Amino acid sequence: MTDSTEQRRIVAAEDFRDDDGVRLVISTCPACGSRWFPPRTVCARCAHDGTGTTLSGRTGTAYASTVVRVGPRGFPAPYVLSYVDIDGVRVLAHTDGTAALPPDAPVELTSGPIGRDGDTELWSYRVRRVAEGAR
Amino acid sequence: MNPVLLCGAAVAPFGKHRDRTAADLGAQAVGALLRDTGLPPDAVEAGFVGSVYGGSLIAQRVLQRVGISGPPVFTVENACASGGSAVHLAWQAVASGTYDCVAVVGVENLSAFGGGTLPLTTADVEIDQGMVMPAAYAMRAQRYLYESGATVTDLSRVSVKNRGNGAANPRAHFRQPVTLDEVATSRPVADPLRLLHCCPNSDGAAAVLLCSAPFAAELGTPSATIRASVVRSGRFHTSHRDMTWPDITERAASAAYAMAGLGPADLDVVELHDAFAIAELLHAEALGLAARHTAHKAVTNGEFDRDGRVAVSPSGGLLSRGHPVGATGVSQLAEVYWQLTGAAGPLQVAGASVALTHTTGGGIYGVDNGACSVHILAAED
Repeated sequence: MTDSTEQRRIVAAEDFRDDDGVRLVISTCPACGSRWFPPRTVCARCAHDGTGTTLSGRTGTAYASTVVRVGPRGFPAPYVLSYVDIDGVRVLAHTDGTAALPPDAPVELTSGPIGRDGDTELWSYRVRRVAEGAR
Repeated sequence: MNPVLLCGAAVAPFGKHRDRTAADLGAQAVGALLRDTGLPPDAVEAGFVGSVYGGSLIAQRVLQRVGISGPPVFTVENACASGGSAVHLAWQAVASGTYDCVAVVGVENLSAFGGGTLPLTTADVEIDQGMVMPAAYAMRAQRYLYESGATVTDLSRVSVKNRGNGAANPRAHFRQPVTLDEVATSRPVADPLRLLHCCPNSDGAAAVLLCSAPFAAELGTPSATIRASVVRSGRFHTSHRDMTWPDITERAASAAYAMAGLGPADLDVVELHDAFAIAELLHAEALGLAARHTAHKAVTNGEFDRDGRVAVSPSGGLLSRGHPVGATGVSQLAEVYWQLTGAAGPLQVAGASVALTHTTGGGIYGVDNGACSVHILAAED
């Protein structure tokens, strides 16, 4: 598994940054104020074609979470998925740990493996719970 | 708009039909419809066929097998609402006066995909992260239990009710009742949902006939009036979403109630989109059958039983009847047609005079569901 020839593919590589901590790339519409993740050039609310880009903070709040016991090809079960609200966008992310997060739990962005496509490791943004008060 | 009547219905029983094609199943349903109504195929002026995975020209491939060949026919795709959307387009065609006699079919063969969760083929950011439909409904369930104080046992009661109803339905995929204990110990799929909280992937087809009032009078079959027909699409955004309130259902239902001049209290029978046990609770509330966060209590109190305040999923619902995606919406119309014409046999809801059908679905990110259809039908006086 630690074979140095192993390939890694970044999933949603254009949608997050991983240099100053993990942050999401969010589009903002200068005309109507809508925020979009993943980023898009045309606002899907007012059709303005000059959206701007901003980076999210590093923390958010879990809305809901589940342990997937029967997954699709490429995602060996079990794994935890959560819907998380971060800086005005809702993102679905793999989640550290073996249990579902409780609703409204504070989380922070991280990155890591999310699945496998043959010999290629799939890597993307993830979230993990942070202790109350640690934000 | 002209009155539109539902004048016949037929179903190719739902289940696993690995050796049959979707076109073959569809032809069985529409062939039975023609024979049951005594309608010659060349009297059908247009056809709409709902299917998700049936492929190009499934409408032609179904209808031409039974002699409906030549008139305008259309394949309709709207995920789980494909069948309901096909009915809606047929309703438009008759209500506008364009046609007097239109056939609608819903067909699907999911066995072609093997087992497991339904394949999501519309590549998007959530599917790339390992999303599957049971996970989406599992998170809706977790949040609903958190907000309402309901328990996993409350979810299981939906499965027990609908599997019990479906045990008497010869068209159902599953015809065995289940116990609370069997639901609670079935295989975990996506916490808190277990296998018996999920509908099966099924193969099957259903067909209905929509006619103008003069045509219906000449045909002379038992009929029910379509009082409302509504389709809505999901509102796309990627910000905070309340996943315990399916607004697409509320928007479609509000429009349907206004069109029919009826409200939730007038309904005797509801066939809704219980693809997962949690879905019955969420959609029952959005349809106005119970106050917010209380549908689980209505189930516990028997209010949604066949002899309850309003019969919800008396056919067994998707949990029992099965979910051949594109066929589901049409089969709901068929089930309420038999209810409203007093022909539902052991499934009959006593005195049923007003019924609502509801399908919603679509596994794409950024919307609560991609498409939703609602129909309200009333018995003839």
